[in-house]
Amino acid sequence: MNPQLPIAAGGPVIPSFGGSGKAYACERANGLFCWHWFSQNWGSVLWPALRQHVVLTLIAVAAGFAISTALALIAHRHRWVERPVTAVTAILYTIPSLAMFELLEPIPGFGLSRTTAEVALVSYTLLIMFRNTLTGLRGVPAEVRDAAAGMGMSPRQILVRVELPLALPAIVAGLRIATVTVIALATIAALVDDSGLGVPILTAINNDVFKTELISAGLLAVLLALFADGLLVLLNRYLTPWSRARLA
Amino acid sequence: MRKRIRGALLLGLTLAVALIVAACGSSTKKTSSSTTSSSSKTTSSSLPGKGKPAIALGDENFEEEYVLGSLYQEALEAKGYTVSLKGNIGSAELTYKAFETGQIAAYPEYTGTLLTAVANITSPPKSAQGAYVEAKSWLQKSGATMIGPTPFADSDAIGTTKKYAAAHHLTTIADLKSLGKGVTMGGAPEFATRSQALVGLKKAYGINPTFVPLAIGLFYQALDSGKVDTSDVFTTDPELNSGKYVVLTDPKHVFGFQNVGLVVKQSTASAEGPAFTSTITAVNNLLTQKAIIALNAAVVLDKQSPAVVAHTFLSDNHLL
Amino acid sequence: MNDFVQAFQFIGRDGQILGGPPVPTLVHLSLETLKIAGIAMVISLLIAIPIGLWLGHIHRGSFVAINLGNVWRALPSLAVLAIGVAILGLGLDNVLLALVVLAVPPIITNAYVAVDQIDPELVDAARGMGMTGWQILRKVELPLGVPLVMAGVRTAALFVVSTTTISALTGYSGTLGDIINNETSYHLSGVLGAAICIAALALLVEALLAGVQRAMTPRGLRVTRAAAPEGSLAPAVAEPA
Repeated sequence: MNPQLPIAAGGPVIPSFGGSGKAYACERANGLFCWHWFSQNWGSVLWPALRQHVVLTLIAVAAGFAISTALALIAHRHRWVERPVTAVTAILYTIPSLAMFELLEPIPGFGLSRTTAEVALVSYTLLIMFRNTLTGLRGVPAEVRDAAAGMGMSPRQILVRVELPLALPAIVAGLRIATVTVIALATIAALVDDSGLGVPILTAINNDVFKTELISAGLLAVLLALFADGLLVLLNRYLTPWSRARLA
Repeated sequence: MRKRIRGALLLGLTLAVALIVAACGSSTKKTSSSTTSSSSKTTSSSLPGKGKPAIALGDENFEEEYVLGSLYQEALEAKGYTVSLKGNIGSAELTYKAFETGQIAAYPEYTGTLLTAVANITSPPKSAQGAYVEAKSWLQKSGATMIGPTPFADSDAIGTTKKYAAAHHLTTIADLKSLGKGVTMGGAPEFATRSQALVGLKKAYGINPTFVPLAIGLFYQALDSGKVDTSDVFTTDPELNSGKYVVLTDPKHVFGFQNVGLVVKQSTASAEGPAFTSTITAVNNLLTQKAIIALNAAVVLDKQSPAVVAHTFLSDNHLL
Repeated sequence: MNDFVQAFQFIGRDGQILGGPPVPTLVHLSLETLKIAGIAMVISLLIAIPIGLWLGHIHRGSFVAINLGNVWRALPSLAVLAIGVAILGLGLDNVLLALVVLAVPPIITNAYVAVDQIDPELVDAARGMGMTGWQILRKVELPLGVPLVMAGVRTAALFVVSTTTISALTGYSGTLGDIINNETSYHLSGVLGAAICIAALALLVEALLAGVQRAMTPRGLRVTRAAAPEGSLAPAVAEPA
């Protein structure tokens, strides 16, 4: 039933791969959390996945930030831009992630690649960051703008020295939401790009629902998002000391 | 002012921690892509793979394929090649499409599956060697080829629990005919449509089970929980050695012959030089039935990482 | 491009595979998806709305309510489903649990903020008019809070619909996600067709709930500003970091 073809004399050396299984008792029984597996596979499975996840996130957030800031600056100058941009980014935001990754795949040049994953992830950041940045810019009181103009500042100087700094809380708030959103969605990116924390999750499901790997990768994704969120909160506090003073 | 300094210090500390962790991480390379001094035989400047174009390997959506992918990747890297591995692309049909469109340059494939699921031939080959020859010549029609075959073969089979087999006196697949639609059979979705699978079984043995689609890694769980009475299994599954399951015989060889070879474009193989083919062949020659089952057991039962398992196997056999 | 044409043909065939065995229709899978999402939303609303509204009414528990919203955003749907499968095994219960876990926080946060941020003078005036706590909640706070509450419900609904389809990746079959998870049988055209359906479903749910929100908003409040905040995003902009 298993036709073998002729092999070299003696055959290969077959290592024991860790013995008869006592060390792997927890894994074989599929216990809820096998510390043995976690410590053995941290370096080869979990840590690389975590690193890849961070890279995926950073690229998506950076690109999304650049695009949405540019759009917001344009919309700030030309009011009519806001409506169509909001509509398009809102539709992109509404498309469920599973569908989004698949819809981008057949486009030539995309396929199963990092590009597909990044474009999908970027599309989810646009609505939030565009809206927050624009709201922040608009939130600058007219009197402040007038005062700056009165001091002789050009429109560009007003933008850079007055409006943007005052819009920072809103901008960073948008950055914060977008980052955490991307970290969450990047797990699905494993469907098109073999990287990120979604890979061990999907692998574990396919490997007899291997609980330890599921829980390890799942918790790592959650902790990463919380860590990133906390970091951005600190960043916001650092960049806008006056907002804290007002509350104090 | 003090508050601001404190905040800045906290931020700086966090960033420093992050940078340290990242730096530590980048030095802990994934074992499969390690470039430590494991190539003991030759100095790095004389490795045959240096300077050759990078290779994109792929593998399909089950554990044995992950192992094969890692084996090929690590063996090639030991010879100085630059190899990336796109794992878990999908079924044979999808992986071939990725190969056809150039997203991957090579992947391990089973001769029988290539012929029936991809080449769609209707008359199955009569021997293992015949299957390999036919697969290779089909590939050559489109500028590709197959480097193989491995000694081991991993074909599908129909498995069931010992209890169910005893209760219904099952020894061969034809015994399922009398159970009609009352018996459930699990398998990957493609199992229902492939000719070397359910379609062929129905024709050859007259069985007509109720098909339940399952994810490949969940076959045995479904058998254990009773979700399905019988299931597609693979003949090199380590679970079959546990004694809990019975494999029904397939006297008409519906499931065919399934040795493995690396599917690769002929242009890629020649561009990479003769060391490429000889390395792949060296790996293939190690893969006996016993070897692959041991590899599978480490990955599927002990949940070890395919990359680590491949590394151990290759270094014990002096290919690393 | 040809793939997209074939995708629409696939939709036109109600999701049947050309020359293949009969499979569940797109209509059936869509209804199943909506059914599961609907059950999860009902459970979540029953849990979250009373808690959120009450906390807002008594102006307590802001730390929990707001931070729940922050923690929620950090939960990747796939990870929550995966952990659920690890603990509860495969099956509908696990999917519903994951969906409820994902839907409750935004509803609570928004319900809390909706009531908590109502102008205290309005509440005082109502109390002065002799209304009891209950009546204030029902006649003043609730109507005024509808926009934010509904925005939270809409956000949650979108997440629930999206995650329901993702459940196909974690071993649950019966939703539109099945097609996406099975490109081998359905081919790329089928996967694209299903993806288009999922997107359309999400947009439909969003439009429907937007209509419900408009219907529930008291007439006086219906003159909305052009940049109406999408609920849970508004607190994010307004809240001090």
